[in-house]
Amino acid sequence: MSVRDLLVEIGCEELPPKSLAALSRAFADQLAASLAGAGIRHGRVERFATPRRLAVLVRRVAERQLDEELSRRGPPLGAAFGPGGEPTRAATAFAESCGTTVAALGRVREAKGEFLHYTGVRPGAATLTLLEGLVRGALDRLPVAKRMRWGSGSAEFVRPVHWVVLLFGHEVVPGRIVGVATGNRTHGHRFMSRGDIALRSPGSYAARLERRGFVVADFARRSERVRAGVVALAAEHGAEAIVGDLLLDEVTALVEWPVPIAGRFESRFLDLPREVLVATLQHHQRCFPVEGADGKLVPLFIAVANIDSRAPAEVQAGNERVVRARLSDAAFFWDQDRRETLAARRERLRSVTFQAQLGSYFAKSERVARLALALAPLTGADDSACVRAAELAKCDLLTGLVGEFPELQGTMGGYYARADGEPEAVAAAIAEQYLPRFAGDALPAGPVGTALALADKLDTIAGIFAIGQKPSGTKDPFALRRATLGVLRITLERRLELDLPALTALALQAAGADIDAAEAARPAGAPPPPPRPDAATVAAEIYDYVFERLRAHYLEGNGDVTVEMFDAVLDRRPSSPLDFDARLRALREFLSMPDAAALAGANKRIANILRKSADAVAPCLDTGLLTLPEERALAAALAAVAPGVESRLAGRDYVAALGALATLRPAVDAFFDHVMVMAEDPAVRANRLHLLARLQRLFLEVADLSRLPG
Amino acid sequence: MARPRPADRPRTFQDLIFALQRYWAGRGCVLVQPYDMEVGAGTFHTATFLRAVGPEPWSAAYVQPSRRPTDGRYGDNPFRLQRYYQFQVAIKPSPPDFVDLYLGSLAALGLDPLTHDVRLVEDNWESPTLGAWGLGWEIWLNGMEISQFTYFQQVGGLDCRPVMGEITYGLERLAMYLQDVESVFDVVWTDGPLGRTTYGDVYHQNEVEQSAYNFEHADVAELLLEFEAHERECARLLVIPLALPAYERMLEASHAFNLLDARRAISVTERQRYILRVRTLARGVAQAYYRSREVLGFPLLQRLVPGVDPPLPGRGAATGARLA
Repeated sequence: MSVRDLLVEIGCEELPPKSLAALSRAFADQLAASLAGAGIRHGRVERFATPRRLAVLVRRVAERQLDEELSRRGPPLGAAFGPGGEPTRAATAFAESCGTTVAALGRVREAKGEFLHYTGVRPGAATLTLLEGLVRGALDRLPVAKRMRWGSGSAEFVRPVHWVVLLFGHEVVPGRIVGVATGNRTHGHRFMSRGDIALRSPGSYAARLERRGFVVADFARRSERVRAGVVALAAEHGAEAIVGDLLLDEVTALVEWPVPIAGRFESRFLDLPREVLVATLQHHQRCFPVEGADGKLVPLFIAVANIDSRAPAEVQAGNERVVRARLSDAAFFWDQDRRETLAARRERLRSVTFQAQLGSYFAKSERVARLALALAPLTGADDSACVRAAELAKCDLLTGLVGEFPELQGTMGGYYARADGEPEAVAAAIAEQYLPRFAGDALPAGPVGTALALADKLDTIAGIFAIGQKPSGTKDPFALRRATLGVLRITLERRLELDLPALTALALQAAGADIDAAEAARPAGAPPPPPRPDAATVAAEIYDYVFERLRAHYLEGNGDVTVEMFDAVLDRRPSSPLDFDARLRALREFLSMPDAAALAGANKRIANILRKSADAVAPCLDTGLLTLPEERALAAALAAVAPGVESRLAGRDYVAALGALATLRPAVDAFFDHVMVMAEDPAVRANRLHLLARLQRLFLEVADLSRLPG
Repeated sequence: MARPRPADRPRTFQDLIFALQRYWAGRGCVLVQPYDMEVGAGTFHTATFLRAVGPEPWSAAYVQPSRRPTDGRYGDNPFRLQRYYQFQVAIKPSPPDFVDLYLGSLAALGLDPLTHDVRLVEDNWESPTLGAWGLGWEIWLNGMEISQFTYFQQVGGLDCRPVMGEITYGLERLAMYLQDVESVFDVVWTDGPLGRTTYGDVYHQNEVEQSAYNFEHADVAELLLEFEAHERECARLLVIPLALPAYERMLEASHAFNLLDARRAISVTERQRYILRVRTLARGVAQAYYRSREVLGFPLLQRLVPGVDPPLPGRGAATGARLA
């Protein structure tokens, strides 16, 4: 079959840098899906993305859709022909709808009788005629948070669209996409390129744009060019650039023709906390900070311009000017902020709302202090340090620097606490309270910080659930997912036996009191808050939510935990994530033993038997009623392992407990092979059921093995 | 597009204003004068906010003194002012070459885009008090934000159809850059036969005194009463309806709110409610203004623009802003 390359390019005004990579991926995926959905075979899909364009190049696209095999059943023969054998209206209508005549139709015999039948082939359409619609469909399905309109048109897209290239082989696919007529002319760099650029074939797209248009269209290639350029320029200054992936992506999405430029700032700004310098350069100016061999920042930054300037010194001077102004501002706040202690600011937290129903940050800090105190024994933290840290934790929200750099909350609190002469444990804890901030981030290191980080997250989770605002779908304004994962990571990695129901209850109690207080103080005329679920329901919701996050955490892992294993443990509703983890590990080990499948099968069988006759179980074992040798043997074996299993359970040694239980396998197998549980005699039956129930109970102490395949 | 040759840099603050006015007048904008009331930004001028409502075409450019009481620094900070100037351009429908027109204005200020690193960096605009939002960019010149560029999508809760495009230049910042000075107060306002006058000569004392007023002396009790009074009056005028006078009362309420905010007289929770109250007024005004133009038959739709097709009969009703 003949094939051609396909090129689609949407030329726009500058696209949002943070979503450019995702948009580009989605566009390529959707276009490939559109082609596949239309039965158009194709080869490799290449994608391109710059601030002013999204493009997809699809190699070896079939010139025609695949033919479609048609098979349709018509009316039953009884209804298709009249008494004289003449076709009825039903038969002719069916034939017409298939584009043929009754005489040409076949017959098919099925269970319900014989029917008219049509088989045929619908020849595939020319791909060229379908492309406009397929591209439109792919664009309509892009995940765009906010589409916009422009001018007086009704087209909607991420940003105004100026040109659309739609080239199938050497041929322009005629049409209109997002309000623009398709063509074969693209545009290069906004300033460095002159005039538009005609494309003769899709395959030459990237090379031609780069040579004629001063545009590196391939995102990955441009990103590498930025990275290499920044690193090399820093090296020229004998230093090393800090190149984070997020900033690299953002900078790549802001330029079509990257040109790194080094700039300097005064050394006095190096007295600012490192995080402030980094935040200023990275977040506000999209520049790369630079450090020396000793790992300390040097008074240098690398900006990435989008132009090979006629006078690079002007670009450098301009950037230096802005960085200087920003750093002066930061230095001003840094000096101002240290003139008042965190403690002195605390009272003003009363007028900073955490959440309307949950009250101010002052109220939150009180709740967190109580929770942190309850957590202190667990993390081995000093009580008074926990309370002090919690009380001061949110005071940096009132400082000038955190006002300018919200991302530095906590971090700045730590610096200011130290400047105030607070104990180091308190200062460190304040700095660590928001850890981990993202997947793979560090955990709080000290005992006070660990208690504070857990307390802050548990309070937020409990409070937001209590007002009925638990996350749904993609809506998670209080970042409860992240908070929950933080709690799980801290407890699991620091091996803390966190009693989730107990702490949730404590947190809910405190939050409930504050919600009531806020409700009592609600100004007349303000709308009443929505009704609240009761505390028991909320506690259960929180438990489920936390353990669902844990499930996701395991299932995204290396694949050695299955849904069944997770459910087998979840069924026991352990109160602490750490206990949960221990059971899950034991189960994983158990499942690698040769007896596991048989015992899981036995547990399933027992569960089924007991489910049907739960009320007929004898209250205690009557050894006199044990008549068959196999049931006597099972009873004896059970009695022999039970004390050992129980003592191991008490010590949470689930591996050993399951190992001991595994020794029961021969006795269990023999029992099921020779003993009829549902005996005629009700007393014997009840006694045998009791035996099985005891066995089940012992297994259930670890996990519900009946949920496992086996 | 033929690229305009960069002009000479304007040497003074007023040359900068002249250059922008000349440039945008040349592109067909009505050079209106500043709105003569306290506003927070050029967007609050009726030439932007109200003209963004409804189907009628519009284009205007103007300087707008803008007040942000909380930004005052008693004249001590080299870049922060509680009263400053914006140069505003509003064109509806936004022309297809709007970005190029803007870049042309930089050339008119002597800024060669082949020398300077000019970039459009996503920055979406939302005004909670105006019930308005749009998508666009801040424009960076060698890393410095010098303008805001916005395609209005909604104003006063009404969908913008057609879309107004708005450009806002920060005049002080631009002047500091063009004159290469480190403090706004050192910007040369004019340098002529009667001598040299700086921005500081004209406005420093004002910054000191107004900062003191905003932060320390504004009468909170009186301002609270004023807010209530303007709110009531606005609502009353909307019933008549008198959209434009109602709008001015809304501006006064909004300014009273800004002063109360600077005096930290409004808690965070109350703040939200005040913003909501102003937004309610803004919505009411936008709707009243739309109806008043509708009653007049959207007169500017009848105006012929050279090179642009005359509007089809009934187009206004069919494609105009839809009441939300």
